[in-house]
Amino acid sequence: MSHQIGLTAKVSRRTILRGAAGATTTIACPAIVRAAGETPIKVGLISPLTGAWTVYGKAHSAGFELAVDEINAAGGILGRKVEILIGDSKTEPRIVVEQANRLVREEKVDFLAGTFSSAERNAAGPVVTSAKKVLLYPTFYEGQEQKYYPGVCNADIFMFGPEPTQQVWPHMEYMIKKFGNKFFMIGSDYVWPRVTNEFTKEKLKDLGGSVMGELYIPFNTPQYDSALRQIRDSKANIIFHTLTGSDTVNFRKQFVAAGMNKDFTLWTVDDEEVVTSGLGPDVSAGTYVSFDYFMTIKNPNNGPFLDRFHAKFGNNALMNTVGVAMYNAAHMAAMALTKQGKVSTEALREGLHDLSFAKAPQGHVTMRGRDNQMVLPSYLMRVRPGWTGVNDMFEEVQHLDSVTPVDARCKKLPL
Amino acid sequence: MQTALSVLVDSTLITFVFALAAIGLAIIFGLMGVINMGHGAMLTLGAYFTWYTTSAGVPFAVAVLLAACGVGLIGLLLEHFIIRHFYDRQFETLLLTWGFFLVSTEIIKIVFGTDLRTVTNPLPGAAHLGPVVVPAYQGVVALISLGLLVGFALLLFRTTVGIKIRALVQNAEIASLLGLNVGQAYKLVFVTGSAAAGLAGGLISPMLSVDPYIGNVFLVRSFFVVIIGGIGQVLGGTLVGSFLIGGSETLFALVSGQVVAQTIVFALAILVLRFRPTGVLRAE
Repeated sequence: MSHQIGLTAKVSRRTILRGAAGATTTIACPAIVRAAGETPIKVGLISPLTGAWTVYGKAHSAGFELAVDEINAAGGILGRKVEILIGDSKTEPRIVVEQANRLVREEKVDFLAGTFSSAERNAAGPVVTSAKKVLLYPTFYEGQEQKYYPGVCNADIFMFGPEPTQQVWPHMEYMIKKFGNKFFMIGSDYVWPRVTNEFTKEKLKDLGGSVMGELYIPFNTPQYDSALRQIRDSKANIIFHTLTGSDTVNFRKQFVAAGMNKDFTLWTVDDEEVVTSGLGPDVSAGTYVSFDYFMTIKNPNNGPFLDRFHAKFGNNALMNTVGVAMYNAAHMAAMALTKQGKVSTEALREGLHDLSFAKAPQGHVTMRGRDNQMVLPSYLMRVRPGWTGVNDMFEEVQHLDSVTPVDARCKKLPL
Repeated sequence: MQTALSVLVDSTLITFVFALAAIGLAIIFGLMGVINMGHGAMLTLGAYFTWYTTSAGVPFAVAVLLAACGVGLIGLLLEHFIIRHFYDRQFETLLLTWGFFLVSTEIIKIVFGTDLRTVTNPLPGAAHLGPVVVPAYQGVVALISLGLLVGFALLLFRTTVGIKIRALVQNAEIASLLGLNVGQAYKLVFVTGSAAAGLAGGLISPMLSVDPYIGNVFLVRSFFVVIIGGIGQVLGGTLVGSFLIGGSETLFALVSGQVVAQTIVFALAILVLRFRPTGVLRAE
């Protein structure tokens, strides 16, 4: 008898569970259907939500989601709502390939946005090319060179972040005049630091400077004693810094612990709001940082943008150059498709060429049609000693409203 | 001469940091034979506990001790509920501790988030010893590391508890026949090893970025340290292993790039194991 009761109880519990699951689906589904009106336009968003570069992942996906919310609130694209399908890259190029394939083949997305590092973008390149889909790429990166095709120099990949001739070159004269022309370069051992340094060296030579040392560090290196010794012995004026992720923090903590921040000027092209927050005020004070966007820039578009961002993601959420690039990418894709009057890879590609976006948080920006490279502003900032949050983290040293990069080094232009 | 001296100091400092990170593993893996893949997670937990308590205003030294106790407690629970049932099955302990690593990493992400955290350096500044610059905090950490190694060696070789543990390591069955409470001794060793890992994580935290993977950087290196040095050689083995895995990298980096230096070090480690499979200091 008791067994009987037990069984009944079990069955009913299961029924309840099934009922609950059903209810969840019914609640969740209409939201999508209702939003659609017509079939929605599907965008595959590949973000580093877990893994080594998770710290950057939040702003990365948040920027895109904010823009899509705004697009949908304004009626969508050509009357169709935009739906985001998210894929976690786990910061691994291998997973990027899996996710890109899944989004293209199974979810049948109309185009892709995201990937974070250059290695991730280069991994997505072949998938994008064979599937004939556009990829909107947001990160500051090393510029386009034919030998990394199809990750770059690819008519289907659009670059919304700055490359070295926009991020580094405009500020070299100032830095050299102020601190001296002897550079020591330290970076993570992969394509972005190496190529960025190549560009920097080219300009440095023109300006009569010299490279006192160049060091590439494998990922996840815990100890920097020998690197610090080489820098100390190099007699350099400026440390040009392209380490990424947690290696940045490890190196910089040990750099400051060794008291070397008093003897050298450090210029980083990696440490946006998120990483600088991670470094803390003691370790980051006095370093120079250059990007196309900072949360504290005074462009009139920026304040309202941040208000909307904080309203959606909370007052403590951090934005950065990559998140803003994702924001611009979504809006500009919507503008491009609307302009062309249809949704297809060709329409998106054609529509983006030479498209300008006046409402970008960093000001007026233009996608250069010739090589799919965004024309952006460039800011040089100094980290304020004793900062308490992103609002007083960076003080502006100089800025240029719009920097046209050198042409992509691709086999044929236009792409 | 000046460079030679500072290279010597650098490699010594690195050796001691690696030794510190590896002590916990040297105890748990080296003495008990439990392949503790959760060692990295224990370091990470130590770092997070330290970050959490220091940001709540607890002084750094106290925070590190609390971290050691906290991770020791977690080690106790892990041992009591899971590991002790698998002492005779080495391969299963590998999987179980790997599972522990996965679970605790995810819990860390849920509880503390994935943002980079920093523990403020409690001893900023550097000591100038003649031409050589020694970061103050790293110097102190090296001394603590040395102290811990010597302490554990004394414990093993100069106390009755040490005799019991060594008896256990040599032959658990006979030790138990002679009246040793084997279960209790294993528990003591496991908890000590866990606490040592927690302490190491706490002490390392001001030098590195505190993220959910901070301990992983040291996991493979710690295994190499213990295996190269010689399993069961808590003092000498850990030091020799740490020098070969950590300190020697500094020397190779003098003549090559960092990437090449790391490759040489690991290639060297494999070579050593080929010709001395029981480690540098382990008797045949």
